[in-house]
Amino acid sequence: MKYIPASLTCLFLAAAFLAHDAWAQVSVRKRPNPGEISPLDISGFTAGADPAAALFRKTLEEDLLRSGWFAIIRSGRGEYAVTGSAEAGGADVKARCEVFDVSTRERLLGKAYSLRAVDARRLAHKVADEIVLAITGKPGIASSQIALVGAQAGKKELYLCDSDGANLRQITRDNTLNMSPKFGPGGKTLVYTTFFSRFPDVCLYDLASGRRTIVASYPGLNACGAISPSGRELALTLSKDGNPDIFIMDMASKRLTRLTDTRKYAEASPAWSPDGRRIAFVSDRGGSPQLYVMDRAGGGAERISSLGSENVDPDWGVNGYVACSTKLGGRYQISVINPETKEVSQITNDELDYEDPSWAPDGRHLVCTVRRNYRSSLFIIDMMTGVKVALLSDKQGGDWSMGDWSPE
Amino acid sequence: MFKHMYLGVAVLLACAMVSMSGCRRPPKKGTAGSGLPPGGSEADIGIYGSDLGAGALAERAVGEKIEPGIAFENVLFGYDQATLDPAERAKVDAVAEYLNANGKVGVLVSGHCDERGSSEYNMALGERRALAVRAYIVQLGIDGARVQTVSYGEELPLDQGHGEEAWSLNRRAQFEFFQQ
Repeated sequence: MKYIPASLTCLFLAAAFLAHDAWAQVSVRKRPNPGEISPLDISGFTAGADPAAALFRKTLEEDLLRSGWFAIIRSGRGEYAVTGSAEAGGADVKARCEVFDVSTRERLLGKAYSLRAVDARRLAHKVADEIVLAITGKPGIASSQIALVGAQAGKKELYLCDSDGANLRQITRDNTLNMSPKFGPGGKTLVYTTFFSRFPDVCLYDLASGRRTIVASYPGLNACGAISPSGRELALTLSKDGNPDIFIMDMASKRLTRLTDTRKYAEASPAWSPDGRRIAFVSDRGGSPQLYVMDRAGGGAERISSLGSENVDPDWGVNGYVACSTKLGGRYQISVINPETKEVSQITNDELDYEDPSWAPDGRHLVCTVRRNYRSSLFIIDMMTGVKVALLSDKQGGDWSMGDWSPE
Repeated sequence: MFKHMYLGVAVLLACAMVSMSGCRRPPKKGTAGSGLPPGGSEADIGIYGSDLGAGALAERAVGEKIEPGIAFENVLFGYDQATLDPAERAKVDAVAEYLNANGKVGVLVSGHCDERGSSEYNMALGERRALAVRAYIVQLGIDGARVQTVSYGEELPLDQGHGEEAWSLNRRAQFEFFQQ
């Protein structure tokens, strides 16, 4: 992909802006300076010739590159070095991995791993995440998942894929509209909106068992479900009382608490803060759809969006920042808002539409929908380098949207 | 005073549309309730930024589909608006008239948006469009339990095109009738 210099500038500004605030709040043992990429020497990591070990090695290298923190080198002096091996052992693949800070010779990680050979990719993701954590102090994204919606012939179904776009699989086949998937804590459940009953209902999908339960099917609209970080509550939009408002449902008792009471306006897209104490949401109470933040107990909503003519689809990252799509000059662009100071930073700036962002668990990447020639695809943006990559290859075709990144 | 002017405009527009489409007669005033309730004003009828005021929704109940044999027109909306435009009201009057004459029939009002903007917000906006139409039907004297709403947001465009012409047709409320 080619970048317009202006957009790059914006991205680097965004990177600096993120770096000086939220990034500094997290206790980090060692990490590159913002935007800086550390040379990582992997020449000391060997892999057997068998397919599982080779796949492990290839996946590990790609994951480390995709993390955004490193330049992979095989000669010369790296800042960090990974040594170890991957080998097949019967039906398993076994890996041994050590990570060193080259200048101090300090060992940051030393572990042995084993998993069935068919899970070589999964094991590599796990090891990559541990390497990233050991060096940067931040969670990796290699083992995380992305939920997404695929559209075909007026129907929409839910899919899952790994964060590198591999392992794409369809998880609903309802021949209806299934939309807005959002992971629950731990990535073990999804909530989404389904028209299976011909009316929009909110459904809970237990990914391990495949069991699905309709949790909200009140008269009118049931949509925009989002599970709280505690896993005990569901924020959603209901119109049962005559107008779309945001409610919280206690998931055990099904008891509802109304959070907004704007008989004159519509509320949508509740997004929980990482500590579960606040909710960002969309409301048109000011004459156009904009972002507001309210206490989890409701009331006291405060507008946080100021850029462009409308701001929608908020997602509150673990870094404390709210990503959203902002309408600017007839196009939707991704921007990031500090909800405490209301400072906003525009992230994308070109002739495409960027919508519906979702933060990765590392608080560094996000996935969003890019619309080009009225077809949608998902892209991952590295907020610190500005690098944008397509999640799925063009060969996979399709019309993809509504990506949601798992919380871990 | 204003009320009557608007009604006059609505009837005139309805006549104009009927003469163009030639598919149905203009609604007769008063056949489906007396229009606005006592003390009601134009601002109360589902105008964007006003209270839809038709109360809690009835339990979902949609019986067998009915073909009324009358082509009811879609109610159109402005960009990002859930206002029931006075010029669009005659279309709803006709639906209320039909419901008034057919006591065992209910209506499902579906609200739709154009493709632009947030899919999630459009679900809420589409619902407000359907609710604005429902509020007006209720104010025309039809029992709210006979009027169900569903929002499809931007998911079911009528016109697959991508310009203002297609978008204006897609920002709509649509009617489907069912046996109660």
